[in-house]
Amino acid sequence: MNPRHHLDPTTVLGFATGTLAPEMSVVAAAHLEACAYCREQLRAAERVGGLLLEQQLPPPGAEDRQAALRQTMLTRLDAAPVEDGMRGQAAVRVAPGHDPDQLPAALAPHFGTSYRSLKWRWMAPGVHCIRAAAHPSLIMLKIAPGKCLPMHSHGSSELTQILRGAYDDSLGHFAPGDVADLDSQVEHQPVTTPGVACICVSALDAPLVFSGWFARKLQQVFKL
Amino acid sequence: MIAAPAQSTTEIKTWAPEMAAVAGSRDRECFLRIYDHFMPRLCRYLGGLGAADGVAEDLAQEVLLKLWNRADLYDPARSSLGTWLYRVARNMHIDRVRREHIWVHAHEVVEQAAEEADGGGSLAERHTEHVRLKQRLDELSATQARLIRMSYFEAKTHAEIATELHMPLGTVKSHIRRAFLQLQSLMGESR
Repeated sequence: MNPRHHLDPTTVLGFATGTLAPEMSVVAAAHLEACAYCREQLRAAERVGGLLLEQQLPPPGAEDRQAALRQTMLTRLDAAPVEDGMRGQAAVRVAPGHDPDQLPAALAPHFGTSYRSLKWRWMAPGVHCIRAAAHPSLIMLKIAPGKCLPMHSHGSSELTQILRGAYDDSLGHFAPGDVADLDSQVEHQPVTTPGVACICVSALDAPLVFSGWFARKLQQVFKL
Repeated sequence: MIAAPAQSTTEIKTWAPEMAAVAGSRDRECFLRIYDHFMPRLCRYLGGLGAADGVAEDLAQEVLLKLWNRADLYDPARSSLGTWLYRVARNMHIDRVRREHIWVHAHEVVEQAAEEADGGGSLAERHTEHVRLKQRLDELSATQARLIRMSYFEAKTHAEIATELHMPLGTVKSHIRRAFLQLQSLMGESR
């Protein structure tokens, strides 16, 4: 998988600073898992954070407070090493990338670990979806092959990672591994490639109920 | 501006020997040198994210305690110590203060993918990058510097920055995009 459509630099920065909408961080992570180029961008953004951290000036007149904190720290160093709660949590990826049925690890808490066990819900003719339980603006979509979606914009930023199948719109051809990082101004009309259903994961940068909004849009077009 | 005036950051310290001593022999003196340098900076960073003073101090202590206990996780060929601590502090703030597990998981997944797939580089490369990045940071325009600072040190979303500065969101994003590309283009030259 060698993605050709990447995250916008502002999205990479939002990931590095923790300021992206949480739902979008999931889609960004699904892309970053698959894209060495964007991971390198992320490292660059984190380097900026590291340098800015070093350049912070200590607040003036805080020496006494810092000395007291230092003393507290010294007593804590004497204590037996304690688990800090962040260790051991990292084992979230299982045999990455080898099993074609395996969903990206970033999606596991929200959609499970395998394509096979996804419980799709009908949304409109040729369109199925699954909404993340706790995050209504995070959604997986399965669009039948050779389907033309209505022309739409989103009224907010949209981030979509293509997992299977492909689609074309005026911005290009989007295949597995590619991400469509669209701001609110972009209007697009994706047409899925014939042959395989297009499966993607999408998030909106707004507290919208994605599927409700999208379903209404589809309903207008398909006159449901 | 971002650059701290009269700060002696022109002299770039790697901390690699101190970290090796902490990891290898739990050397307290080395740890305290790192602690004295970074503790006030971490307090400032975490305070800027909106944590109350006491909370910011507690979190900063936890970050440095993690460094003490898990210094072996740090690889100087992959990142500067400042960058490593930035990541640990950011993640700890998201986990303990914002309590957004969705985010913690997203960062973990990506860090694990990077560890499995991405090469490290060398200390010399890291050092060159650091010097160049610092130069470039000093050269950002006042607006770019302000927007970058608000993104990193006030953890403001681009929409919040736009509201606060009465700028259109698109303008904020294009400033930030340009600033980031500018910072990077120079880092790229080291290759």
